[in-house]
Amino acid sequence: MRIRYFREWSVVAVLVLLLGALAIMAPAFFDGQPMLSRLAREAPTLVAACGIALVIICRQIDISIGSQFALCGVCAGLLAAAKLPMAVVCVGSIAAGTSLGAINGALVAGLGLPSIVVTLATMVIWREGLRWYREGQFINLPDQFQWFGLSQSAGQYTLLWIAALLLIILALAMKHLAVGRFFYAVGSDAEAARLAGIRPRLTTFTAFVLLGAFTGLAAMMNVVQSPQVDPKSGTGLELKAIAAAVVGGVAISGGRGNLWGLFAGLLLLITINPALTYLHVEPYWEKAIQGAIILLAVIADGVRSRRQPH
Amino acid sequence: MQPPLLQLSNVTKSFGAVRALKGVSFTLHQGEVHALLGENGAGKSTLIKLIAGAHERDGGRIEIAGNPIGHLTPRQARAHGIACIYQQPTLFPDLTVAENIALGLETPSIGRRVHWKKRRQHAEMLLKRVGAMIDPESEVRSLSMPEQQLVEIAKALGAGARILIMDEPTASLTQSEVALLLNVVRDLRGQGVGIIYISHRLEEIFAMADRVTVLRDGESVGTHAVTAITQAALIRMMVGREVSAIYPPSENEPGAPVVSLANLTCGASGIFEVNLEIREGEVVGLAGLVGAGRTELARVLFGITPADSGTISLSGKFVEVRSPRSAVEQGIAYVPEDRRRHGVILEMPIAANMTMAIHPVFFPGAWLRLDAERRLALEYIRELGIKAAGPEAPGGSLSGGNQQKVALARWLATNPKLLILDEPTQGVDIGAKAEIHKIIRHLAKNGLAVLMISSDLPEILGMSDRIAVMRGGRIAAMLGGGASADEVMSAALGHEKEAA
Amino acid sequence: MDATIRVRNWKGLRHELLLLAVLAGEILYFNAVGSRFGTLDNLFDILRHSTEIGLLAVVMTPIILTGGIDLSVGSLLGLCAILFGKMWRDGGLPPLTAAVCTLLFGAMAGALNGGLITVLRLPPLIVTLGTYSLFRGLAEAITHGADTFTNFPASFLCLGQENRFGIPVQAFALILVAAGVWLMVHRTTFGRSFRAIGFAPEGARYAGLPVDRRVAFSYILAGFVSALAAVIYTARLGQAKADAGTGYELYAITAVVLGGTSIFGGSGSVHGTLLGVAAIAVLSNGLVHAHQPREVAGMLTGVLLLLALCGGVIPKLVAFLRARSRHPN
Repeated sequence: MRIRYFREWSVVAVLVLLLGALAIMAPAFFDGQPMLSRLAREAPTLVAACGIALVIICRQIDISIGSQFALCGVCAGLLAAAKLPMAVVCVGSIAAGTSLGAINGALVAGLGLPSIVVTLATMVIWREGLRWYREGQFINLPDQFQWFGLSQSAGQYTLLWIAALLLIILALAMKHLAVGRFFYAVGSDAEAARLAGIRPRLTTFTAFVLLGAFTGLAAMMNVVQSPQVDPKSGTGLELKAIAAAVVGGVAISGGRGNLWGLFAGLLLLITINPALTYLHVEPYWEKAIQGAIILLAVIADGVRSRRQPH
Repeated sequence: MQPPLLQLSNVTKSFGAVRALKGVSFTLHQGEVHALLGENGAGKSTLIKLIAGAHERDGGRIEIAGNPIGHLTPRQARAHGIACIYQQPTLFPDLTVAENIALGLETPSIGRRVHWKKRRQHAEMLLKRVGAMIDPESEVRSLSMPEQQLVEIAKALGAGARILIMDEPTASLTQSEVALLLNVVRDLRGQGVGIIYISHRLEEIFAMADRVTVLRDGESVGTHAVTAITQAALIRMMVGREVSAIYPPSENEPGAPVVSLANLTCGASGIFEVNLEIREGEVVGLAGLVGAGRTELARVLFGITPADSGTISLSGKFVEVRSPRSAVEQGIAYVPEDRRRHGVILEMPIAANMTMAIHPVFFPGAWLRLDAERRLALEYIRELGIKAAGPEAPGGSLSGGNQQKVALARWLATNPKLLILDEPTQGVDIGAKAEIHKIIRHLAKNGLAVLMISSDLPEILGMSDRIAVMRGGRIAAMLGGGASADEVMSAALGHEKEAA
Repeated sequence: MDATIRVRNWKGLRHELLLLAVLAGEILYFNAVGSRFGTLDNLFDILRHSTEIGLLAVVMTPIILTGGIDLSVGSLLGLCAILFGKMWRDGGLPPLTAAVCTLLFGAMAGALNGGLITVLRLPPLIVTLGTYSLFRGLAEAITHGADTFTNFPASFLCLGQENRFGIPVQAFALILVAAGVWLMVHRTTFGRSFRAIGFAPEGARYAGLPVDRRVAFSYILAGFVSALAAVIYTARLGQAKADAGTGYELYAITAVVLGGTSIFGGSGSVHGTLLGVAAIAVLSNGLVHAHQPREVAGMLTGVLLLLALCGGVIPKLVAFLRARSRHPN
């Protein structure tokens, strides 16, 4: 008998082991303020990763979110520098992300182009366009902008709440709302979905648009954490998000996986680097270990599916 | 009198240059089981896909209960009370059984809540009605083919359809499952549902249907009440000619055994203890129902799913076939059933397709000899009478029959000892079919051992020197070339012929 | 392309002619705008700067023909550059020996990709995403993110910085590899197999082709040539750092797709890929001469890639719309 959510639980187990090791060997890891800062820094990643999970469940991929993230951040920064109210800045950033996502979605779902190449192209275009426009210049934000004008820890808690709320709402919607199941159906078999009366193209388009909106929100959540906006931010975000999804059991072949697994996967990935420091392993190993974890996760899948005759 | 439940007038449908339906009319009344018969490629599947909204018709009228229907999408078809069970289950492999059933029934509206418990209970109830012992929480990808078929049937049941289309629903079911299903169908008919029933099993049609329509080459040959027609007449309508007249006769005496299989078993593909001998110059027909293990046996012989135990010997020598590559090296050739996916690479030129299995021999040092390849292709084009623009024409530009000849040429080029043909004339027009039969006969005459899988009973009877009938992954009977259709059918069905 | 496809593949040819026209347009424009663009020195400059990406793009072509993708080539280039530097400086090996060892390592790394993809039947996208991270991470771990290898002997640096017979030395490597891969893809059964696998993986298996061996080979070749590119990169810049070749996989894939190879596999050509590399290289070099910022080149490359993709769709779209207007229902 196959254990349900085997993959998700094994990630949780590894995470618990890692945290256990830290608790014994480096209890300082769990100190309040550094922990809070760490989590707040990764809250935008979680938001973006939730979006990418939608796209991957639809059997698509988006590697342009790092560039989208930077573009939305700059957008938000410029709006904020123009002394517009916080709400407008927020809406602006999300709107920017939504339109970028819609462009990808239109090219992929509308024209039926392969998502990997489309988003490769848009990644380069947004990134280089931004560099050309900003020439690497940072944007200085007004004083009252950082941490939403709250104290640092209140701001950090706000970010955690936003990310947690989004995760919970989305995870519940994916499981308990009909529309959530559409994404799974389309990713599992687009033709069968069409015959069941679901519109695969519209669903795919929606996934890209939502990813864009989430990326815009993530960018906003990143911007409020520092007094300046770095136009180069978000480099490698797509890999981190995809890695979290893959490690957390969201199958790249579509139709499988859930956001809780993704959450566990992301926690595991973001714990490694600080854990290395606390466990006195050289931190340069982070990327290599991240790669090894991705490979281990897919190898485990491969071995399991080989053993199961279908 | 109230209008018929469903009325199709003169509907047409083309795929590219292929005219799948050339103006078919068809009516279905309430509380009627209307059987649809026809050889493979006659247009049955296209017709039901039009009704279910999966394809859009090119022309003609569709009326449901007297109301003309314009554009028909799958969603609208469902709203009109049309449910369809396809031959190939259209299920979501990654989702659970309960969800699969639910997605087929619930109207796809975005904001509605998913009631998992209700879905589960509903699925349980429906599965019980079709007599399936399946856990609604299991993933569809873990189910066997017949189990998936039962899920499809449960789904269609749950839809509360007014018009139910069943495309060979019993093809892969066991006897008891079939009996249960037929009861369900009778129940539905009693409730006033109109049922379009496609099956190759004539006895099912006679047991259950009220009327039968025969399609041939995209046209309706006629509609009759089942009580007013005989099996022989039906077969004649399907085939369009007297069966015995069209097959080239066997001319030669079989020689020494080329292949013998002893206790060949492959658990994963459901093949058990197959013993079979094929002699030089002999055509052995492999008959049986869909799901009896014929294609699976061919796949074992060709090394796609290697055998667990038992032996294969070729010309008296034991051989091990672990992969298609080694099968080719041993002299086994397999022309697969799914021509478009496995038989021919549609995008590649027919010359490249023909040399694909002989790379190491024909191109020493891996170096392409394009002129030699072209000559070889031209030779086969002439020899087999392939209608193509030239050796450079892509496989996909050819008609089904000509594609099949290209697939055949690929394997003849390997100079095999054993040629396995899997449904060699499926979806091939009548003219090409006769030509392929002539080719097979010719090959046998030159000493090739041929194993021919076919669901086309007249073909099996007309072409085979001997007939092996499979059932449940085993050879159920070996019959002589002069066997009757009834003998083959009863062996395939596994029960003694009822007194007719 | 395959001579047998020559007649019918007018569409593929048209793509290459279009690309050639784009390239010619670029050259004419930059020649008119930039004063130093049209010189032989500049041509060599372009050649020098595009050799590594050219090598990666050329060996990416067979992979994409089989319907796969390799995201790890840029990272592998970085790792190989580091290993080469390490073996030479800390291992005391002469550059030639170190280079040979590096090439072998590259082939092994490619075998890791190929093995995981064929033996465990894992999607290439994810496997090479993992090794993308792994290889770069190992490079960073070895150098602690900061160590740089420099001061290579002049006899080694000439590989990347000097001319022989009047052309840059590394151009010979590119020509050799490109010619070799071209012959393999267009003139041998290997190329046939790659295409067959790309068009129909199951169909190729049913034809008795050694599918797994061919696929694995394409990844091993990519690993080997990535290592070669790493050695040339090191010689050109005179240093090896952990971030060597960052983003090169994207340029390589862009060049391949721009060159008309279908990302779904099956159709495409090596000369198309070379044209794609040339279009990108000339664009980025020419824009510098036209006093445009470098970023514009990146943007235009992306736009070009999108246009190349859409170009394939437009005829289908037109046919679809026509069919629609004929049957309004």
